[in-house]
Amino acid sequence: MAHQAHSYHMVDPSPWPILGAAAALLTTSGLAMWFHYHSTQLLALGLLSMLLIMLQWWRDIVRESTFQGHHTPAVQKGLRYGMILFITSEAFFFLGFFWAFFHSSLVPTPELGGQWPPTGISPLNPLEVPLLNTAILLASGVTVTWAHHSITEANQKQAIHALTLTILLGFYFTALQATEYYEAPFSIADGVYGSTFFVATGFHGLHVIIASSFLLVCLLRLAKFHFTSHHHFGFEAVAWYWHFVDIIWLFLYTTIYWWGS
Amino acid sequence: MWRNLLGLRQISQRTISTAPRRQLENRVAEKQKLFQEDNGIPVHLKGGLMDALLYRLTMGLTVFGTAYVIYELCVASMPKKQK
Repeated sequence: MAHQAHSYHMVDPSPWPILGAAAALLTTSGLAMWFHYHSTQLLALGLLSMLLIMLQWWRDIVRESTFQGHHTPAVQKGLRYGMILFITSEAFFFLGFFWAFFHSSLVPTPELGGQWPPTGISPLNPLEVPLLNTAILLASGVTVTWAHHSITEANQKQAIHALTLTILLGFYFTALQATEYYEAPFSIADGVYGSTFFVATGFHGLHVIIASSFLLVCLLRLAKFHFTSHHHFGFEAVAWYWHFVDIIWLFLYTTIYWWGS
Repeated sequence: MWRNLLGLRQISQRTISTAPRRQLENRVAEKQKLFQEDNGIPVHLKGGLMDALLYRLTMGLTVFGTAYVIYELCVASMPKKQK
């Protein structure tokens, strides 16, 4: 077997990158077909192929790291940079929506009644479910940190408990937000208030769902003994992402829910 | 890293005997043996038959979808027939 004289990872040839690009083509074209020709088949095909490719690509990364040992400290450093850069790009993504919110809310136009919230909009009470949601996410930040400490102390049972609790809190947040969306007296079509509210909180909710799925995968890997007390970057990556999602919520809560009400 | 892995394996083997039956057994070593076998198979197919089936399904769906996109693009590019 050939041996490498460096500590980096030269991956096996893989079909997932190009198939992933094709899946993105199918999904975006599917959106166009849905918007203009009222057909959802292509979109469904695109999303299905995206899901299949994500599952297999990440499955392969678990194989390369946990089973083949390719994730040396040098490789891990690259992965850390990658995750940090990705989270930074997401921060900029949300920054755009916060910009839009402040653009409309700091100088409310006459069409809105010259006030914020606009005339006719009854905003949600920030001291009711939104406050509970804030407490839930803050608590989940504590539990995920507890899980991390448990992993570094090689306490398998406690780590599983803490990570499970984190995931349950995440689901609780999502369920509460779903009921809030259903019960809200305003919709996304209610002018710029509705647009900024639902697009910003909606994308946040989507990120909570994505992060919860990532946490669930980590729970399965934790239960299968993939993590060691010194090497568990997959878990660290989701912990970072989870904290990011929490911080975005804190900004959403203080600006849109509280100041904006 | 390997010592940690082996160490964890030993610890988990020790705790398995007293742990509740619901806890999974540590099968990482078996997986490591399977995926480190020197058979030249790339990692996306190295797990066995399921890998190949999933790969074919994914490839099939994606290739079909791409062809369909190009077809729909051609249809959309053509002028609509006038009555």
